[in-house]
Amino acid sequence: MNDWIAIGALALVGLLIPLGMMAVSYLLRPSVPETSKRATYESGEVPTGGTRIRFNIQYYMVALLFLVFDIETVLLFPWAVVYLDAVESDAVSLFEILAPMVAFVVILLIGLAWAWRNGAVEWAQTTRQVDAEGNRS
Amino acid sequence: MAVVELPEWAALAPVLILAGTALALFVFDSINPRSTNRTVLAGTAAIGSLVALGVAVWFTVAGVGASGLEGFGAIELFDGQLVVDQMALYFMIIVAVVTALVSVASYDYMEGHTYQAEYYSLVMLAATGMATMAAANSLVTILIALELASLPSYALVAILKDNRGSIEAGLKYFLIGALSSAIFVYGISLVYGATGYLQLDAIATQLETGAADGEFAYGGLLGLGILMLIGGFAFKTASVPFHFWAPEAYEGAPAPIAAFLSSASKAAGFVIAFRVFTTAFPLDATSALIGVDWTLAFVILAIVTMTVGNFAAATQQNVKRMLAYSSIGHAGYALIGLAGLGAGSELVMGAAMMHLLVYGFMNTGAFLFVALAEHWGVGRTFEDYNGLGQRAPVACFALVIFMFSLAGIPPLGGFWSKYFLFTGAIEAGLLVVAAALIVNSALSLYYYSRLVKAVWFEEPPAARDSLGQPTGLYAAIVFAAVMTVVLLPGFGPVVETALDAAAAMIA
Repeated sequence: MNDWIAIGALALVGLLIPLGMMAVSYLLRPSVPETSKRATYESGEVPTGGTRIRFNIQYYMVALLFLVFDIETVLLFPWAVVYLDAVESDAVSLFEILAPMVAFVVILLIGLAWAWRNGAVEWAQTTRQVDAEGNRS
Repeated sequence: MAVVELPEWAALAPVLILAGTALALFVFDSINPRSTNRTVLAGTAAIGSLVALGVAVWFTVAGVGASGLEGFGAIELFDGQLVVDQMALYFMIIVAVVTALVSVASYDYMEGHTYQAEYYSLVMLAATGMATMAAANSLVTILIALELASLPSYALVAILKDNRGSIEAGLKYFLIGALSSAIFVYGISLVYGATGYLQLDAIATQLETGAADGEFAYGGLLGLGILMLIGGFAFKTASVPFHFWAPEAYEGAPAPIAAFLSSASKAAGFVIAFRVFTTAFPLDATSALIGVDWTLAFVILAIVTMTVGNFAAATQQNVKRMLAYSSIGHAGYALIGLAGLGAGSELVMGAAMMHLLVYGFMNTGAFLFVALAEHWGVGRTFEDYNGLGQRAPVACFALVIFMFSLAGIPPLGGFWSKYFLFTGAIEAGLLVVAAALIVNSALSLYYYSRLVKAVWFEEPPAARDSLGQPTGLYAAIVFAAVMTVVLLPGFGPVVETALDAAAAMIA
């Protein structure tokens, strides 16, 4: 049961340190209320407008697609490094070294084709552009 | 012996078929982005899951993964990262059946929805994840499979994009899922830190040697890790303490998705819990190291979960919420399978597996009835269901079967699995759990029969027009009802398979 005591003590210390710091600074600090202290960035830019700006969802789409292909590179790289050795050795056949990676890339390509066809990589248009196009046609 | 000798990776065929179906749907949607050809899409999904089901049944009958003379032994793939044994195939069958029912029922339910192909491919991807969970044999593959099952589920719950309830449910489900995933990953890292292995058999070997020579220094770490793993399982199976997402998510989600999550997803959560706790943490060695018997945690969780679920269900006015809480209660019943492992009998875990199979039919059926009611647009509360029996006698008769089977009335399927759970619990010496099972079942009869009474005996509030008979929903409901009844005379092979699989896990 000693281990449990150690874990409990760790949790306790972890709680006590921040609480202790807050308590000590509460006791020590002078209280000088001032309006400029209430600003969002006390020594930075004066904020303009609210924080709830709408980002275009397209950013997330692009980020997601990037992530997928980033991971693909991470997996392709070690595979490419061992590829020649694996082909030369008799332990694995060409099919065994090639097929899994081809399957992996094909699955990703299907995903990309799907995303492309469903408009994930077309840059979204503002309402004004949409209107203009509507007028043109 | 098999007529044809298949390569080893072919043992994963049910999973591969589900994944292939999902990809085929994506390809179809890439060629035809705005297609709302429901027949092709729902048909592909249903056929894919039926083929996966057929292959899984064939493998079970042919003895893939079975030990003994006629079997091939458990097939380990990729250095034991995945394993195909009887239990894996058994749960793949459950997942495939529920997926097929849900796909067929969605044909009518999702009528007029814009994103048809996406819906079915997400269902198939989630099913792939759940089937992989059944075969996962290492904490890493378990986590990946669990995420593969979870991520499409979040999207599916929120797929009714114009429905506030659906979006809210999806967000809540996602947040709680992310939280419990984080806890689960932390638990995995602690177990890895304590043992140095992620593969389940390797963890068990490490723990046994550690317990034998007394040089294992990380008992506390291991205990904490196991506790956090239980947290992850509790989320996936909708048990206390991570149960509260269930009523919200089921209420907001499209009803077929609620059926999918509460049956297949729950079964998949249980299979990894069964596998991790029987394979990786051998009872004697683990309790010697951490000083506590881990079955105790499941005894408590089982009693609390079934009590919370049933008492909350009894107070609901909304039918879907009632079913959601009842599904929490049933998670409690299935947890008895893990609670009773201490006695070393396979009966109690086999009983839990049987319960999950029967539950896959009766609960899916019950949720599909709700889907039918939503399709008719009759409303959500018990009162809104009043007098439906006069208008749609077939579906309402099926509902009676589901309700009484869920309550455990003989001679329906739900009675037998509960009976086995009860005798298993008694045999394992868990008298308190057995008593809780009886009390909760008796209580559950109250709210299940309340729905039956509303449908058959109450007068409808106003004269109803005749109700439509959507083919897909009716077919799925009737099939589920027939299986709930027929599973019982055919219970012999099912019982045998479940007990064999459980025995293979414990041995």
